[in-house]
This record gives sequence, C-alpha cells and structure tokens, in this order.
Amino acid sequence: MAVSFQPIRPLLQTGTNTVSRWFSYIGLGIGVLLLLCSIQMYVNIQQLLKEGSIRKNGFDFVSITKSVTNQTMGQPEKNLFHQPDIDELKSQPFIDGVAPLVPNDFRVKLSAGDVLPFSTDMFLETLENDFIDTIPPSFTWREGQPSIPIILSSDFFEIYNVFAPGQGLPQVSKETAMGIPVQITAEGNGRQEIFYAKIVAFSDRVNSVLVPKAFLDWANKSFGTKKYVEASRLFIKVKDANNPDLLRFLDSKNYKLNKDKTLLGRNKMVIQGIFTGLGIFGLLVVLLALMLFSFYLQLVIARSKDSLHLLLMLGYSPSWLGRNVSRRFIPVYISIIVVTLAVVQLMQWSFHHFVMYDRPELSSFIHWGVIATGVVLVALSMVTNYRLVRRMLGRLGEAG
Amino acid sequence: MQLIIRDLLPLYFDKDKTRLSDIWGKNIDFKKGERIKIVAPSGSGKTSLIHFLYGMRKEYSGSIGYDDKSIAGFSAEDFATYRKDHISVVFQDLRLFPEQTVMQNLEIKRQLNPYHPKEKITEMAQRLGIGDKLSSRSRICSYGEQQRVAIIRSLLQPFDILLLDEPFSHLDNNNSEKAMTLMLEEAALRNATIIFADLERIDYYPYTQLYHL
Repeated sequence: MAVSFQPIRPLLQTGTNTVSRWFSYIGLGIGVLLLLCSIQMYVNIQQLLKEGSIRKNGFDFVSITKSVTNQTMGQPEKNLFHQPDIDELKSQPFIDGVAPLVPNDFRVKLSAGDVLPFSTDMFLETLENDFIDTIPPSFTWREGQPSIPIILSSDFFEIYNVFAPGQGLPQVSKETAMGIPVQITAEGNGRQEIFYAKIVAFSDRVNSVLVPKAFLDWANKSFGTKKYVEASRLFIKVKDANNPDLLRFLDSKNYKLNKDKTLLGRNKMVIQGIFTGLGIFGLLVVLLALMLFSFYLQLVIARSKDSLHLLLMLGYSPSWLGRNVSRRFIPVYISIIVVTLAVVQLMQWSFHHFVMYDRPELSSFIHWGVIATGVVLVALSMVTNYRLVRRMLGRLGEAG
Repeated sequence: MQLIIRDLLPLYFDKDKTRLSDIWGKNIDFKKGERIKIVAPSGSGKTSLIHFLYGMRKEYSGSIGYDDKSIAGFSAEDFATYRKDHISVVFQDLRLFPEQTVMQNLEIKRQLNPYHPKEKITEMAQRLGIGDKLSSRSRICSYGEQQRVAIIRSLLQPFDILLLDEPFSHLDNNNSEKAMTLMLEEAALRNATIIFADLERIDYYPYTQLYHL
C-alpha cells in the first residue's frame, strides 16, 4: 500500500506567508511571459526577414563602385576595377572576400517571346556563387545548353511592375515571372545566337541580372572583343558594413558603397538585439522568481522543521518527503505556464492579425520552441525544488 | 536485525566512566528475542545511549552496528529504511505532533509500514485506557496519556529492536503494567529484542539480561 501524503500535509506550515508566495508566483509568471514572448518575437523576426536578409553566415555583402567624377567621365577604364585594386581590397583586414560583378562584353537583347510583347536591350552580369543570397541548384550552365538560368534583382522586378501598366504591359507575380520563358539574343563578333532563359530566383542583395559564371565566360569569349573583361562593380564580404575603418578606406579610394542594402540587415540586427536583451531580462526575472520561490520553500521547511524532523525520526524517507513536498507545487507551476502560454498565444494572434495583417510568412500560433521552453522551465523548477527540499531534509535528518 | 556495540562512549564522558559501566566501553551483541534491562541513574547517559542506538546523534567514539553494517556511514535515507522496518523507539520526551489528534499521530506512523490494521489502534488505545482520547488533539492530552500514545505508536510497525527510554515516567503502576504487558506481547509476536532503559528496576519486566550503565 502506498504511503499517503494526506495526513502529512497539515504538518507543513505554508499558510502564514501567502503574500510572499503569491509574489513569487506572479514574479515567475511575469518572467516566464517575458522570456516566452521574446522567443516568439525572435522567431517572428526570423520568419519575417528570412527572405529579405542580406546577411549570409553573419556577413554583410555590399557592392562598391568607383565614383564617376568629372575627371573620370568618358574614361571608362578609370571607372573599372583592375586586378591591383582587387588585390589591395583583399588585403584589408576588415574585408573577408571580394568578387567582381563581371558584365557582358556583347550586345544582349531580351524579349518575352510570344507571351508578352516586350523587348529590350539588356545587360547580364555574373558573380561568384558564394556572394549570391539565393542560389537554387538549377543555377548552372554547360556549353551547348540552350537554356540559361537567371537570378533577377527583386528591385528590378518591382520596377517592372511599377512601369508595366504605363507601357501597356501586364503586371506579373514572382511565381508567374518564374514560369515565363524569355528569349535572350546574344550578338557580337559577327555572330548571333538565341538562348532561352528562365528566372530561377530573385535576389534581394544583388541589383543585377545574374547568369552562371560558366555561361558569361563562354559568351564573352564567343561574342566579345576584349581579352579580359573587367568589372565596374565589386561585391565585398565584410563582418560589418558600417565599420568605420572600412568606410574611411573606401572614402580614401573614392569608392562608393551601395549601402541601402545593408539597412535591412542592420534593422534586423537591432531588433534581434532588443529581443535578445528582453529575453535575457526575462530569464533573469525567471531566475529571480525561482530564487524567491526557493526562499519561500526554505522558509516553509524552516517553519515546519520540528514536524519534518519528527517524520524523519519516525522513518519517513527524505526523498519521499522531498518528492511530495515539491510535488505540491506542480499544479501551480503548470498553471503558471499554461496561463503564460495562453497569453503569449493571444499576443501572437493579435500581433499577426492586427499588426502584421495576416502576412503569410507568420503563423497565428506560437512556435513549438516556445512551448518546449515552457515545458523545460516546469521540469527545471520541479527538479531544483525537489533537490533543494531533499538536501534540506537530508541535513535535518543527519542533525539528529 | 541484530544490534552490536563496540567500545561505545559519549565524547563528553571521561574514559574512567567505562570502569563502572556494563555498557560504555564494552563490546555487546544484543541477541534476537532478548529482553534487556538497562538500569541507569540520572546523568549516566541513558538518553544518549538510546539516541546513539537509534542513529539520532553521533557524538560518540567506538561503533554501533545494525547487523554487520556500521551506522556511522548511514545516510538519512538508510536510517529511514531501518526505522520503518526494523527498529522502533519510545522517546522519553514522547515527540508527538501537538496539533494532530491522537488518531492522526498514530496513523501517520502506521501507514508507513502497517504491521497492524487500523482497527488495532482503537483496540490498543482501549486496552491502555485512552480509547476516548483518539479524536483529541495530542497537545491537550495529559503527559500520561501522551506517553501511552507514544507507546502505541511504537508498536504499529514491524521491528526487530524496540528501544524504550523511561517509557513509564508519567504513568502509575497499574497503567505501566498494562503497557508493559502489551509491549511484551507485541515484541513476542515479532520475536524482537527489547532494550529497556530506566532509572530503576521494574518488577513486571521479565528481563533476560541486566546491565548497569
């Protein structure tokens, strides 16, 4: 027959300090709420800015050009980056990588074939894959392949949609655009060839029309006239695009940094920083509340010392008592977590519905990580309480 | 379970105490079913001895063994197991829960390892003349009544050793004899050893061994 805790319960003097107990419950609730909210908001930011992120593996990717001035106008070679320039950039400690945006050295015409009555002169560029934010596996080309995958700048695409109605052209969604086959006509060196191109991805980072390097290298050789094509734009990979050393260096070289692309990254970092801070604060409040609670438990044990000592003398085991004393608080902990999770859920729903207008990237429901954190917190509190009570009882038992 | 003492002496006693004592500084094996009487005048360390044997205090030199295990290395958990299954005690200072009723006090002990059904509590209480006190808070019972509660409490579990520390200090002869009879019966049921420490000899305790402390 199992030993019942029921006759033991009245021996624990818990009733007299209700206020301090409720304070610790409320403190715990607030701390948990802060913590879980921060986690949820952190997840929200990740999901909202996943597409827009220009940071890859913790780096900023920014493009630089040489400033076109009155002195350099009309002398294109002065506005191009030459190998010594690139080597000099690479040697700077605050720059982790440099890649030229190599342009086409031949005439490119783009038309939408029969689908849209649209034709324009175009440019193509290529960039090392490492520097591109969205690379689908299909972004490759081999000689003889008639179709070319394209990564288009999201900005260019938006500009098209802005001007399309005025030009009598239909506005298209990204999904549709990716389905439209376009014709690319390459002309030069007395040759002409037609390729079929398909948009395979959109880039938020690179303002260009990107094709695989293999294609452009081949095309520049086949249709171009120059032996070696130099870039007027470079992409640099840096830890922090706002690093003063970097900005000073670029200024001294008269290089222009295309900075707006870093703004989103900056904002995301700042917001994440705020919520990380809030999360840490929440964690501190949780710790404080748990400490308050452990003081309360110690007080209960100190007040009930005589009874507990006598129970140990009668043969009650410290671990059984510890288990049962700490078990009494399981419903309290679970209630706190359930109420907190409900509040976070309500906040998430309101945030999604009223602030984010049901944007599809977000969910109205809280992330599973938030629930898992709640569960872990309950388990952690129970274990620490149990150990605390058991240790105190063990000491009481050995004291004789 | 068998109780063994080896060269036992409280740290606060002089070595020459061992000269006159049958217990301090001696090696004794208390055998199963024995009825030990320890006669001890005030200040001879009677309560200390009971507390040492029950594992409540450690201020002694020498060793105490439950079977062949020295209790010096016991954890609170180990003691709990022995106190639940093998060794029972009547404290001189009674040690009841003052705010609980007599019945609750007894049931708290009984439920831990029930040797008797619950009805046995009522039966024992009636035998010792406190049948009408079962629903009274123990703090309002007289010392004599509390002492009888403590005696009954010690008999509700299985045990191999029953330690008695002046169990009749607040009882008249008639009630003491009734209580003694009950304890002898219960010890016989379990074939248990009784270690009975008191100020003087008591006629109605048929001891098999007598020690002077």
